[in-house]
Amino acid sequence: MALPIKYSVRNALVRWRSTIATVLGIGLVVFVFVLLQSLAAGIEKSSGNTGDRRNVMIVRKGSTAESASLISREDFQQIRYFEEIARNENGEAVISADVLALVNLPRKPPEDNSSAFERRLSKILIALHLKDAKKPVSGGEANVLLRGVTARGMELRPQVKIVAGRWFTPGKREIVVSAKLARRFANFDVGQSFRSGNATFTVVGWLDGGGSAFDSECWIDADECRSVFERDMYSSFLARVPDAKSMSNLVARVEGDRRFKLKAESEVEYYRKQTMTAAPIKWLGGFLAVMMSVGAVFAAMNTMYAAVGARTREIGTLRVLGFRRRAVVFALLLEGGFLALMGGVLGCVVAYHWNGYTTATMGFETFSEIVFQFTVTPGLIVKGLVFAVIVGIIGTLLPAIRASRLPVIDALKAI
Amino acid sequence: MTLATFIVKNALRNKRRATLSILSVAISLFLLVTLQVAMRELMNPINDEGSSLRIIVRNKVSLAQPLPARQLQVLDRIPGIVAVSPFSFFGGLYKGDEKFTSFAQFAVDPKRCGPLLSDAKLPPEQLQAWLADRTSCIVGKLTVDRYQLKIGDRMQFTGQYYPCDLELKVVGIYQGTADDRNVMFHQSYLDESLGKPGTVGTWWVRAASVDEAPLVTDRINKAFANSSAEVRAESERAFVLGFVSMWANIKTLITRISVVVLFALVLVAVSTMSMAIRERFRELAILKALGFKRRELFAFILAESVGLAVAGALIGGFGAWLVFTYMRVGGIVLALVALGLFAMCVYLLIKRQWLTGILALFAAMPVAMLGATLAQAGSIQGLTNGMFLLFEVTPQMLGLVFVVAGVLGVLAALAPMIAVARTSVVQGLKTLD
Repeated sequence: MALPIKYSVRNALVRWRSTIATVLGIGLVVFVFVLLQSLAAGIEKSSGNTGDRRNVMIVRKGSTAESASLISREDFQQIRYFEEIARNENGEAVISADVLALVNLPRKPPEDNSSAFERRLSKILIALHLKDAKKPVSGGEANVLLRGVTARGMELRPQVKIVAGRWFTPGKREIVVSAKLARRFANFDVGQSFRSGNATFTVVGWLDGGGSAFDSECWIDADECRSVFERDMYSSFLARVPDAKSMSNLVARVEGDRRFKLKAESEVEYYRKQTMTAAPIKWLGGFLAVMMSVGAVFAAMNTMYAAVGARTREIGTLRVLGFRRRAVVFALLLEGGFLALMGGVLGCVVAYHWNGYTTATMGFETFSEIVFQFTVTPGLIVKGLVFAVIVGIIGTLLPAIRASRLPVIDALKAI
Repeated sequence: MTLATFIVKNALRNKRRATLSILSVAISLFLLVTLQVAMRELMNPINDEGSSLRIIVRNKVSLAQPLPARQLQVLDRIPGIVAVSPFSFFGGLYKGDEKFTSFAQFAVDPKRCGPLLSDAKLPPEQLQAWLADRTSCIVGKLTVDRYQLKIGDRMQFTGQYYPCDLELKVVGIYQGTADDRNVMFHQSYLDESLGKPGTVGTWWVRAASVDEAPLVTDRINKAFANSSAEVRAESERAFVLGFVSMWANIKTLITRISVVVLFALVLVAVSTMSMAIRERFRELAILKALGFKRRELFAFILAESVGLAVAGALIGGFGAWLVFTYMRVGGIVLALVALGLFAMCVYLLIKRQWLTGILALFAAMPVAMLGATLAQAGSIQGLTNGMFLLFEVTPQMLGLVFVVAGVLGVLAALAPMIAVARTSVVQGLKTLD
């Protein structure tokens, strides 16, 4: 006969002091795990969100990203007449040759957008001298990706919308910045202007990429971009194809032609692969989780050994009453699992607090600031909970076996 | 029995708990050291002999924007400059590397870059060979070891940022710089491959003296102000820190995670310590009844708690030092631990304790695997594919570990001490559990 589940649960709750410590310990492990994985998930989501199924991206062979790619104008003159490319109502090929430039710009000084909890925590840390009191520092500088586009390029990327101001006028040094970047960089409000490469750009609008990689870009007129940054080469081509068959034909034709050293693939596919930045974060998350979970297993073991030790007589009594060894083991495993699950839930709840919070770092492919959001997916939560329960059960296994092995008579004699 | 033996005996009387507590503290502190070392490696500028004199000049727009080669004539006339050389980051993929090549390739002017790489040791005949052959390159010792290169080999690179591929002949092997990984080749060869665009990536400048370096930086910035290609000259240190600032929130995140790890550590230790003391409440009450003063009881608890924490710090801190500095030895130590666990498994199986035996085997396997991986990798470079070079555990970090352990010991002792102080002798004697 199995012991009632209530027995395990109430046992965990009656020793609330050590229970709280264990729950918090496991909760922190799960928190760190879920939080870091949610960062990686955010990066993957933003690049997985990008692109149109009907588009083909063409970059130079060997370049891992379009910002590092250079393609000559002659190549453009040839490729634009390929019949695989869709035509618009005026009979023009729907293909855009973009010019990308990397521009180093000052960040906004960090504004205090921390939550109340974070503010309180940092106050405590400052009081404990674990952290310097916040000095009014400048935000440093970071690279921003500037995309020189034509009207065609905008048509090809319907994801991008204007949320404030207006589009730039071709031929003028006007710029449309990402609304998400505008919160992070100085002089990015509509109407403001900044200097770079002997030119002054006036911000005329904010764009929104709908959670895609375009949220980390600023758009200007392609010809202006070429003249200001002295480029006679293009960075990438984006072409619309009418159907899937012409897509594979176009890819085959561009890659097969020995005159070009170009690589073509579907735009969606191209962006799906731009997740190099996520890899080290995932790795760090995994490493931390493994290390911390080993520590958490030890801690859970300690708690459960103590729990078993304090209940020696009780367990002896249960055995005398006729409960089987495996019933005792099962009840204890359930207790450990329950403890860990509480920790897991706590960790996930706290990590979920950051869900959707926008953050940024330097992307490895573009070397520019990429904006993304902590994304706590249901899959991650399940992973975190399973992870917690595994830690709890491993930690409980040995103490439970020990408890079940106690000779009944000795156990009853124990004080 | 002296007081010291009394404390030690007390700490070790529940050996299992003592081991588990020490190990959990050790693991958390190991983690703390690892995070610190990684941060230092990623964030800290190089500090070799020449770094205080080196100035890096890049395009004001960004590092990705090239500089006109004609700027060299202006730079040559600026007072206080001992040497100038182009340094163009080629950033190619080395043949066989799929996505990421762990060493940089720089196009330089071999005739000019000597003073800029004053730390590099290169045999004179190899230097001559490098100067003589336009398609040749010199390679850092670490890269040579990693790819088992030798003089005369050819290295193929696929350009990622430049639209050309290069084939370079290895004519020299240097060592002694802060980063012995890089490949240096002729700027003139790169120019030729690109069809002479007349641009370079950056200029590296060596100032005459440390005092003059800031002045030289100013002069360079002024010399190109309002020209078609404005520059940003900055000390090597500022340049590297600029890179670091681009990491933005990730850095803060790692710092915060360290804090979380510390917090978890405190929790676990406090809980264990209070368990240990609660267990022998009655005993402490007896000691009180025997006439031991409260102060002395406090000392017992404190000594035990701090002792356990410091033991954890010793294992965690020096373990990290051992693993990161002498990875092979660390791997062997882990292999020995695995061997011990395996022996335990055999012993348990002979004693017919099947389940625990198998569990010991399960514990032995990952430890053995980890040990084997570490011993095989041999160094942090091998383990991280050349991403990390030094992973130096500094004395400051070990100091921090011990300070943390000390504070932890005191914090963990607080709750039990308060409990002991509050309880009267009679109450304590009555306690059952």
